[in-house]
Amino acid sequence: MSQIETFYDVMRRQGITRRSFLKYCSLTASALGLGPAFVPKIAHAMETKPRTPVIWVNGLECTCCSESFIRGSHPLAKDVVLSMISLDYSHTLMAAAGHAAEAALEDTIEKYKGNYILAVEGNPPLNEDGMYCIVGGKPFVEQLRHAAKDAKAVISWGACASYGCVQAAKPNPTQATPVHKVITDKPIIKVPGCPPIAEVMTGVITYMLTFDRLPELDRQGRPAMFYGQRIHDKCYRRPHFDAGQFVEQWDDENARKGYCLYKVGCKGPTTYNACSTVRWNEGTSFPIQSGHGCIGCSEDGFWDQGSFYDRVTDLTQFGVEANADQVGMAAAGVVGGGVALHAAVSALKAAQKKSQDTVSQSEEV
Amino acid sequence: MTELIVGPFNRVEGDLEVRLELRDGAVAAAYANSPLFRGFEVMLDGADPRDALTLTPRICGICSISQSAAAAHALADAAGAEMPEQGALAAAILHGVENLADHVTHFNLFFMPDFARLAYEARSWHSEMVERFTAAKGASQHAALEARARLFHVTGILGGKWPHTLAIQPAGVTRVPDAADRVRIVSILKSFRRHLEARLFGGRLEDFAGLSGLADLEAWTQGDAGLFLRASADLGLAEAGQGPRRYLSYGAYPLASGRVTRAGVWAGSGVSDAATGEIVEHVAQSWMLGTAAHPYDGATRPDEAMGAPGYSWCKAPRLDGQTCEVGALARQIVDGHPLALALADEGSVRARIAGRLLEIARTQMWLEDWTQALDPTAQFMGDFTVPKSGRGVGLVEAARGALGHWVVIEDGRIANYQIIAPTTWNFSPRDADGQPGPLEAALVGAPVAEGETAPLSVQHIVRSFDPCMVCTVH
Repeated sequence: MSQIETFYDVMRRQGITRRSFLKYCSLTASALGLGPAFVPKIAHAMETKPRTPVIWVNGLECTCCSESFIRGSHPLAKDVVLSMISLDYSHTLMAAAGHAAEAALEDTIEKYKGNYILAVEGNPPLNEDGMYCIVGGKPFVEQLRHAAKDAKAVISWGACASYGCVQAAKPNPTQATPVHKVITDKPIIKVPGCPPIAEVMTGVITYMLTFDRLPELDRQGRPAMFYGQRIHDKCYRRPHFDAGQFVEQWDDENARKGYCLYKVGCKGPTTYNACSTVRWNEGTSFPIQSGHGCIGCSEDGFWDQGSFYDRVTDLTQFGVEANADQVGMAAAGVVGGGVALHAAVSALKAAQKKSQDTVSQSEEV
Repeated sequence: MTELIVGPFNRVEGDLEVRLELRDGAVAAAYANSPLFRGFEVMLDGADPRDALTLTPRICGICSISQSAAAAHALADAAGAEMPEQGALAAAILHGVENLADHVTHFNLFFMPDFARLAYEARSWHSEMVERFTAAKGASQHAALEARARLFHVTGILGGKWPHTLAIQPAGVTRVPDAADRVRIVSILKSFRRHLEARLFGGRLEDFAGLSGLADLEAWTQGDAGLFLRASADLGLAEAGQGPRRYLSYGAYPLASGRVTRAGVWAGSGVSDAATGEIVEHVAQSWMLGTAAHPYDGATRPDEAMGAPGYSWCKAPRLDGQTCEVGALARQIVDGHPLALALADEGSVRARIAGRLLEIARTQMWLEDWTQALDPTAQFMGDFTVPKSGRGVGLVEAARGALGHWVVIEDGRIANYQIIAPTTWNFSPRDADGQPGPLEAALVGAPVAEGETAPLSVQHIVRSFDPCMVCTVH
């Protein structure tokens, strides 16, 4: 093969119609928060650019990221992305096995030197010279370094690759280490969450494949478009928080009414992720909707922040309020008169909550 | 005698390496190495017991509800708590959906693609296999992935998210489904049934679940199931990969009325009670320090020197000193299904796949019945307080077989937590007596052609167990 195919070629080869292709482009644009003007740009890029190869490697992990990825999103988006990546190297999904698989990895690295994206699921354990995770007879950390050497950029899938996640929980028996502490000379994008939301994963990867650059990142290296807001900010139970209406214990009267889960340990107020907007399992629901508080799985070190069932104590309630109102103000042009009312109600509730909070703090002692 | 190391295996959950000793073109001895260790039991030491509900599901992204259910039952046992009838029902639906999805994933994504390999080009069924099961491209794979994603809307409705659902608690579930949820679940299950009947079985689920013997099974030609059976007959998979033919099941889906499938051990003749108090985990040939012990007294201390004769991070669980095979086939045999009983003595690659297909049909029907029985006005969660001290065991059936959590609580914190996962049983290394684990025994005699580096027979046998390596060592 003398010429590298474009995305569009690959998609057509997969039997995807032009109509579906365009639908995919507009879905992608909206998922990424881009306006309709971007649809033709995405389409053009996918028609003309050679497809970017992706290598997907697995370290110490539970495969939940792959699981989330393959059952997620618009089926077409998944088909497209799968058709783009699985051609190269994916541990969970590829056809080859054993040394043939390792050879496929070498081929891809060689063929697309400096041009491929390395997606990492899981992380390398460094204790015992990395012997707690062996791939093809060698410590995973070696495979990771080797594959990263010639990568254009690295995606850290999930809390494991981004922060260490569960295997790095105290006492971190294997010294599981996030990717950015091992690979220090490449652009790294973190997509935390345990697992990340499928739509977020496809969104990030499509953006990179389409525009050939990293999306805008926040200070922690996460794509701002998905990790820019707290779950609390867009939670559908937020009005109950503002109204001081809380679930006291599971399946009580308040739980059935769908009140706020803050008192049973919800970490939504300190967690940046898109769960309350994008939701899970193709927009069906998210943990708070199932009546269980958020555990903050997209935050660094969430395993060792005390019990998952104790309420958040470092929450500056008025800060959060102010923030939410700023968001409300930005939308003023659309919402009109409702905002003034909202602000007034919020101020009222804030005053209520202050007294309630004094009480709850003394309860806790 | 030559030696061959097979691995890494793709299309299994996690990492696996098998060392084979070959003699006269066949496997003379096999050593299964689980090369991935994370140390969950160490992390749980000293933790708030409720942390087990969020930590242990992270052992595995494909059986996370099984882990969560086992943790919930272990804590409930320690606290003397019980799930109300409807809470247990909702938990069973969540768990059943995951098990069903896992079986379908295994068949379509992990097991069948091997038949589309070039080495089988001359076989009469090869072109159909290529069309339906070429890795990441096959028509059946696409259909299964889509159907599976829709099926998981049920875990979305009842559990908020999947994988790593938080809804199952020791005394029930956090989500009370309303009438509209029930209707949605019914319709999702209907669409999944259509997928199974059109693609996988090419016939009614009731008919497949009604098969009562080998002749019946061999006469089933429709659907992907029929295609597998044709290839299986051609390749002699009924004679390949015979396990220990001793099957263990803890009994699946604990409802208020009792477990839906029977618990016990089948060995040669009938089913006897499983004396779970007699389970011992050996560490003699594992990279673990310590001595053989029941999980309540067990410890997890990795041998950092990785010294011989150890060759795996996996411990070696034994019941009454013997190995047991666990999984869908084991569950169906112990439950006394006539087709499964007819396959018990065969214990082969074919038997494992047929057992799983049988369980797919039965699980779908159970899920439909359970959903009908949901009562949104009932209580879904009872009382649970973490005990100051105590111990408890949670025994459930994951897709891949018997899963147990044993917890010891002292001063309100976890003093010991031990987990034996299904693949810990199936892929265990040798014990102190040198007795090989079920997979290691099943591989003996597998033919390996001259120059084959990833022998096909070995691939089929390994994958027929549906190993979950991340659970195995945890």
